[in-house]
Amino acid sequence: MNAPVRAGPPGDGVGEAMEADDTPVPAAAELDRRKPRLLAWLLLAPLLVWLAGFVVAPTAILFVYSFCERDEVGRVVYHFTWDNYRRVFDPIYLHIFWRSILYAGLTTVICVVIGYPVAYFIARAREEWRHKLLLLVMIPFWTSFLIRTYAWITILKQEGLLNGFLQSLALPVAPLDLLYTPTAVVIGLVYAYLPFMILPIYGSAEKLENAVIEAAYDLGAGPLRAFSAVIVPLTMPGIAAGTLLVFVPAIGMFAITDLMGGAKVPMIGNVIQNQFLQARDWPFGAALGVVFMLMFAVTYWIVQRRGAQMA
Amino acid sequence: MKSLHRMLAASLALGAASALSAKEELNLFAWSEYIPQGVLDGFKQETGIEVNYETYASNEELLSKLLAGGGAYDLVQPSDYAAEVMIKQKLLAPLDKAQLANLKNLGPQFRHLPHDPADDYTVPYMTGTVGIVVNTAVVKDPIRGFGDVFQPKFKDRIVVLNDNREIVTWALYTLGVSANAISKENIEQARPIVARWIKLIKVFDSDSPKTALLNGDVDLGVVWSGEAAILWKENKKFQYVLAAEGAHQFIDVLAIPVAARHKAAAHQFINYILRPEVSKLISDEFPYTNPNLEARKLLSPEQLANPASYPAGGKLETFHDIGKLAADIDRLMTDLKSGR
Repeated sequence: MNAPVRAGPPGDGVGEAMEADDTPVPAAAELDRRKPRLLAWLLLAPLLVWLAGFVVAPTAILFVYSFCERDEVGRVVYHFTWDNYRRVFDPIYLHIFWRSILYAGLTTVICVVIGYPVAYFIARAREEWRHKLLLLVMIPFWTSFLIRTYAWITILKQEGLLNGFLQSLALPVAPLDLLYTPTAVVIGLVYAYLPFMILPIYGSAEKLENAVIEAAYDLGAGPLRAFSAVIVPLTMPGIAAGTLLVFVPAIGMFAITDLMGGAKVPMIGNVIQNQFLQARDWPFGAALGVVFMLMFAVTYWIVQRRGAQMA
Repeated sequence: MKSLHRMLAASLALGAASALSAKEELNLFAWSEYIPQGVLDGFKQETGIEVNYETYASNEELLSKLLAGGGAYDLVQPSDYAAEVMIKQKLLAPLDKAQLANLKNLGPQFRHLPHDPADDYTVPYMTGTVGIVVNTAVVKDPIRGFGDVFQPKFKDRIVVLNDNREIVTWALYTLGVSANAISKENIEQARPIVARWIKLIKVFDSDSPKTALLNGDVDLGVVWSGEAAILWKENKKFQYVLAAEGAHQFIDVLAIPVAARHKAAAHQFINYILRPEVSKLISDEFPYTNPNLEARKLLSPEQLANPASYPAGGKLETFHDIGKLAADIDRLMTDLKSGR
């Protein structure tokens, strides 16, 4: 891609991170002036305490546990072992990791396909409409996630709303068998994460200048070319941010697989949950968690790099 | 899903605890769908003690939280084998029977059970069995045991508990192995059976297996007797049978963790639950087998005739703790559910 305009307007998370990479090193004098003052540190303190207490410390505990053993009843014994990691790379668990990536990947792709036009349409809508439409995207968050998931069960179950509707159309089809299938899981995942795709894309699309698109047309691009060569690259930061926001949590989701998938096909989130609650094998659960986090880091890195290349 | 519930409950409890630290309270950690709200309200009305009710969906979950240092709980509700582990690990405080005058209401067959021979630590709450529910409006074949349920023709018409130890135990029953004779070797013997079964099962659900049956998504289930009893109450087409190959009972008890901070309130609550009229409320809502014989006298003939609540037959065995084998069972199930 050789888009003429730089992607990633300031204020956009991904765009900014990219920008940080290629900012020239400031001169020494400038550095001095930028030195954080006491006040800045004070303002940051709550965040730092929060990060230390709820991110760094638990991660450290997880890391330590992942090299420990468990005793007869399931308590963690501080005795060094590699066994947990050896088990993580057992084909069963790799297979489950792979399936989780696949489901989350499919969810992300569907979210982009559905979410992009919606976000673009909202961003291009007239000012007074925009906020109302955005509100519609947010409204589902006003109800508990669990209640919304149960609502899907009511829709998809065999004697549910969807099949009732299809029957009332008198179509010559057998009732759909959707609930407790992988399809139901993907429906649930897409439903849960779609807003997290729409919002960042909206953020990018809203900042898109009409003049740029007009310029593309003036230079002879058709609608398709204008879309693929100008609009998509310019909204790429939004797509990248949305991908992270959807893909990463979707891999670890366990509630939807339990409720809508009938707990039949485990995802990695279910396996980890089981280690802590059912098998009482915390060290193994911790090892899975550590590998899982590394995967996130890698995903983040890849998305960032791609974003940077796009720019 | 359970965890989300719990997180919510925990944060609410935390908020409540800090706001009302002066007020008396009782931190109850118990099975989901097992203690009627009316009972908690009645207790509060009478004693002024606020009950913070947090739930779990398996004994393993309770154990893992308690072993992790759950000093926050005043009263827990393990099943027999989990209580056995907790007693062995010295996690439970001895009961002060002087504060439990209503113990006399319990039937003698529910006293001095193997997990707590001297009744020092535990008081039976409800008991039940795990058996087969058949929607007889759809399934016309006679269903007597696991062999009849797990047939190819019932593929995707079956719900079972999402409880790995239960499922492996059923498979072992079909091999003639009793519930507590689990070993590494016979878990492997169970593998091909469970593998075959898993392909036929539509839903795994321990919280509310009745839902899939009521919704018509499945016609057969292997579930807690209380769930089956509710189904029968709803519609007599749901019949309950104990599997011919083997069945066991569970005895859920109330017990006070050693680290409990409100032991007096916990005793008060146990004694309150043991009152016949309170215990009846529990039977009304969760029709398991009530060990409180005085409460049974208050039940309607229909309630007592519920074959899932009060099945005919002799005394069944209960689970014992199996230690690290739980991890082997989990691995087997994870393995098989992943379709390998």
